[in-house]
Amino acid sequence: MIRDITIGQYYPSNSRLHRLDPRVKIVCTLIYLVSLFLFQSIGGYIIATLFLASVIRISKVPFKFIVKGLKAVVMLLVITVLFNLFLTKTGTVLFSLWIFKVTDEGLRTAVFMTIRLIYLILGSSLMTFTTTPNALTDGIEKLLWPLRKIKFPVHEIAMMMSIALRFIPILLEETDKIMKAQLARGADLESGNIIQKAKAMIPILVPLFVSAFRRANDLAMAMEARCYRGGEGRTKMKPLVYERKDYIAYAITVLYVVFAVVIDRVV
Amino acid sequence: MIRTKNLVFDYKKFDDEGNVIGTRRAIDEVNIDIEPGQFIAILGHNGSGKSTLAKHMNAILSPTEGTMWVDGKNTSREENIWNVRQTAGMVFQNPDNQIIGTIVEEDVGFGPENLGVSTEEIWQRVEESLSAVGMIEYRHHSPNKLSGGQKQRVAIAGVVAMRPKCIVLDEPTAMLDPNGRREVLRTVEELRKKEKVTVILITHYMEEVVGADRVIVMDKGHVVLEGTAREVFSQVELLKEYRLDVPQVTLLAYELRKKGYPIPKGILTTEELLSALSECKNTDIKTQVLGSEAKKSLSNVGQPLLKVDHINYIYSPGNAFEKHALKDISLDIYEGEFIGIIGHTGSGKSTLIQHLNGLIKATDGDIYYKGENIYREKYNLRELRNNVGLVFQYPEHQLFETDVLTDVCFGPKNQGLSQEECKERAIEALKLVGLPEKYYEVSPFDLSGGQKRRVAIAGVLAMKPKVLVLDEPTAGLDPKGRDEILEQIAYLQKEGNLTVVLVSHSMEDIAKYVDRIVVMNKGSKMYDDEPKKVFAHYEELEKVGLAAPQVTYMMHELAKKGFPVDTEATTIAEAVETISKVLKK
Repeated sequence: MIRDITIGQYYPSNSRLHRLDPRVKIVCTLIYLVSLFLFQSIGGYIIATLFLASVIRISKVPFKFIVKGLKAVVMLLVITVLFNLFLTKTGTVLFSLWIFKVTDEGLRTAVFMTIRLIYLILGSSLMTFTTTPNALTDGIEKLLWPLRKIKFPVHEIAMMMSIALRFIPILLEETDKIMKAQLARGADLESGNIIQKAKAMIPILVPLFVSAFRRANDLAMAMEARCYRGGEGRTKMKPLVYERKDYIAYAITVLYVVFAVVIDRVV
Repeated sequence: MIRTKNLVFDYKKFDDEGNVIGTRRAIDEVNIDIEPGQFIAILGHNGSGKSTLAKHMNAILSPTEGTMWVDGKNTSREENIWNVRQTAGMVFQNPDNQIIGTIVEEDVGFGPENLGVSTEEIWQRVEESLSAVGMIEYRHHSPNKLSGGQKQRVAIAGVVAMRPKCIVLDEPTAMLDPNGRREVLRTVEELRKKEKVTVILITHYMEEVVGADRVIVMDKGHVVLEGTAREVFSQVELLKEYRLDVPQVTLLAYELRKKGYPIPKGILTTEELLSALSECKNTDIKTQVLGSEAKKSLSNVGQPLLKVDHINYIYSPGNAFEKHALKDISLDIYEGEFIGIIGHTGSGKSTLIQHLNGLIKATDGDIYYKGENIYREKYNLRELRNNVGLVFQYPEHQLFETDVLTDVCFGPKNQGLSQEECKERAIEALKLVGLPEKYYEVSPFDLSGGQKRRVAIAGVLAMKPKVLVLDEPTAGLDPKGRDEILEQIAYLQKEGNLTVVLVSHSMEDIAKYVDRIVVMNKGSKMYDDEPKKVFAHYEELEKVGLAAPQVTYMMHELAKKGFPVDTEATTIAEAVETISKVLKK
């Protein structure tokens, strides 16, 4: 089950998108996400669709793989649609159902909201598909670097993030193992009310915490043994340097936003 | 290279306010002197202080008393720490917990990055070190997708990239299967030859230290024995006292010697044994050949207790991760049997045993317990799990209660027994695994590794299962600990009329204890027969990444060299018997 969630995963490939500087991908994704909220008519969305489709194409990540990420948020999408559909009071009434009235305005916002959310998820997951977690944290570290002036622990936070990313799959596997082991000892994890269920989690959570601490301890020791002593005096194996292609990517993104907004207003 | 003078280290226990409330001496007056370029092995049981000593070499710990010098630098001095850590790189036991990077090459670059090496040189070093351990083609992989042996090789590369003069390996093979173990040892051996680094290997596996220049044996924080492998392994009895063991050949030679044959001490190879045996041939020794305790032959009739009927299991069907983990497996388990399951990592053995108590449901096929189909609607799976107890690998990681007794009570409590009954069952189970009464009220987290494992096994035994399934119950334990656990299980099987299914990587253990072996390969059942018959196929077993017990190899080698022993012998006792017979003629 857990394996099926693709959001946040990295899809190894060597496309042009994969090779871009992570900072470009982070900033451009943010610009793209903001752009989605600027559109008021169908025109902007058409351009956004074209843009997203071509970027997906360039990324060489299979479309099926990307769409799978949506499965996890289907419920969220459905709820958004229903809320927008039934709770929008303005506009002309198309039909009514019991106490709910569906208006054309409501239908419009529901559709746009769904598109926005889907594109939001597709866009941001495309970033994680094409950027290794390490590159991502490197990018965030570099982007947040100026915050160091106000004593913000940028390096430490980036390091924590990359360690967290590395240990998530390990801890998931461990959780699965502990659950099975306690089931084998006759634990009942399903029946009972909330309190009983919460109580039933203790035999899983305690070993999991103990194991997490043990791992943290081991890891800290291994890092120290390899001369880790914080960000000072550290060099980078993969330093981030902007290249021509990165500037081009920025330019394309800016052009897209301008173009899309213009089209949006014209149509 | 590494020198210590009267090294002492105390672990301190603190109370909530940070005051020292107790100390435990882990290292006591240790004096060692290691020359550059040597291969040193350190042996010792769990808790003998060998890991603590290793951590001093890397300045992770600093001595309570005495001094340690690494490459002439005092490790207690603050200004030397980073230099020492670079000089003596360290590889730890758990492959998962020492890899920092999310991609192989980035992890190897972590050390040089910390040292402030320039970017171009980092790349060069990463390439060199990954090539040195033979992992260059995996450079873009995620460590999570690698096998244990591969992960350890990455960890070694990460140390090599820091250009150390000395590599300290703290039980690098303890959590690996035999293939992974071989991989890692071969890598270390090559590094030693090519890069001329000093290697300090800490281990529980006696076979690994035969090639060492010097072996150091530790017990209770002291160095108790020091010398060449031959000198150390001559002292079989002494080593056993220190909860250790000797290589199988040495053990065989020792057993023969004990019977009165004039075999010299400290035999390390089969050739040496052979030449010693040729000497014996002419001497006349009066020993009686004991009839070996005949193992139960396979004469299972009637209804099997557990019947696995043509099951298939497919992981994540229909997506990219799809894997056919079990292919058409059928297996009958009869009451009172002792079955061994062997197979390389990923052969499906863990998946198979999780079917036995219904934790995993087969994609198709059926499983019958006492003739009843467990996939039948409304079949009581919890009842099945009471009858088929499953002990996972490293079961001590599932302990969670505040004291030992309560933890063991968890199973019976889930069965709905009263508090008194639970306690009774728990005490009975704890007695069965041989845990002394003084530990009943102690927190399970304060116990030693071997004791924790006993508690965890007791936790399953307390449910009074009819079948006990164990997934590598001896992983990570020292030789004595391994023997103790297995003896206990064998005893339960014999006296308690328990049916036991044992998954193990150790062919020696399998040969010694089980009545029947099931060999798994790539999700299929390859063999299902008596140990002798299965191990006769040792060449086929090797092809699928397994092996026969070392005794089998020794017997084949002896037979090839014209010493007509019975090549079917799989255990030391059987080997002693057949050799005695030959010598009598």
